[in-house]
Amino acid sequence: MYRQGDVLIVALAESAVPEHAADAASEPRDGRGRLVLALGEVTGHAHAVVGPGRLVREAGLFGPMLLHVPDGARVVHEEHAAISLPKGWYRVIRQREYVPGSVRIVAD
Amino acid sequence: MTEQGSWRTTAAATGPGDRAAAEEGVRLAYRRAGLAEPERIVWTRSPREAVRTLMTTARPDAPETAALGASVRDAVLGDPWAAERARLHAELGPQGWSGHWRATGAGLWESTRTLVDRVRAGIVDELAGDRGQETQVRLLLLDAALGQHDAAWLCAFGSGDGSPLEGLAAVARHAGWWWPYEKVAVISERPLTLHRDEAGRLDRGDGPALGYADGFELYAWRGMPVPRDFLDELTRLTPERIRGEENAELRRVMLEYYGYDRYLDESGAVPVHRDETGVLWRVQLVGDEDVVMVEVVNSTPEPDGTSRTYWLRVPPSTRTAREGVAWTFGVGAEAYEPLQQT
Repeated sequence: MYRQGDVLIVALAESAVPEHAADAASEPRDGRGRLVLALGEVTGHAHAVVGPGRLVREAGLFGPMLLHVPDGARVVHEEHAAISLPKGWYRVIRQREYVPGSVRIVAD
Repeated sequence: MTEQGSWRTTAAATGPGDRAAAEEGVRLAYRRAGLAEPERIVWTRSPREAVRTLMTTARPDAPETAALGASVRDAVLGDPWAAERARLHAELGPQGWSGHWRATGAGLWESTRTLVDRVRAGIVDELAGDRGQETQVRLLLLDAALGQHDAAWLCAFGSGDGSPLEGLAAVARHAGWWWPYEKVAVISERPLTLHRDEAGRLDRGDGPALGYADGFELYAWRGMPVPRDFLDELTRLTPERIRGEENAELRRVMLEYYGYDRYLDESGAVPVHRDETGVLWRVQLVGDEDVVMVEVVNSTPEPDGTSRTYWLRVPPSTRTAREGVAWTFGVGAEAYEPLQQT
């Protein structure tokens, strides 16, 4: 389990990877060839994965998303130190906040 | 995905665009739809002003109705979109289309849809004095092409040179909402100001989050609509005023603006739990559920070497700081154990 700001990256055992993930289409890469885990709408700052891999969106409002990095990867962000991920599958979770009657995501 | 980046910029663009280019786009869109070009193109300063103009002109008993002609939105926009969508569907298949949409418009749609809904609601609020007017305003809003706010669809569909959507794309790059009628096209300028937070929600504490040249404005705090007067009051808040606010949502905004830390300090709140993940605070409010928050220190120091502390509200049932932080990520307290945090 790794945390970069408002994003939590949880290692998944191969057996825990949902079946549909293998065939599901990968999220597109951004203009710099990165897999964007979360994008700041105003600053354009992003939690992003550099290197080979796939990002698969799961059902639900805020994700989560599944990340597969067969060779390992680095997670970078303009304001946070980079994190090295060992190869494997991960679940990517955005931080949220309690709002009476609803829940909203956090923008850091 | 530079294309997506450019449409993202278009969707959030403010200030006047190139009017000649927008008008050329309108005429091209009419021609591509097999229609005669509009006789007149009328500019307005906001979509509210456009609707107000149309309310008078399009009233069935108004003598000007004939001057406007019927709405040609379907011919100019609806039909070419449907055709382009059908073409892509056939070419890519249902799965391919869904992947293509995610790669292009999906991310843009999430942020612009909310904005579009807010603008519509604001116009209905201001212009609909009674039920009859409300119906008329809503119908006029359905006649609108969304200009820059159609960015998500234009990003997903081909809109380059020679495309059936080329004209619509040209309008979108330079203007806001617009109304195509047989004889007249009414175009609204883009807003002058647009303030959003990192999540893309309308957000401003000291003025309108969205403002047009004619004075049409929307006020919001982290996406939540707030009255204009409310913002003026934010700079003069006291803990007593916050406690006394009966509207829970407004009180929440007050707490955020005032600063949870300051409020906690001045209202004599005490931390109820502390561990290596942070500090848990609880504030009791009369007639409302408790405000329970975790205080967390950012792991990466700021450029000046200090660490930013922030507060996140968690469910009132939270008992420990760890439980609170784990909840913000949707995992159980026992499972929350990051190997590395930055």
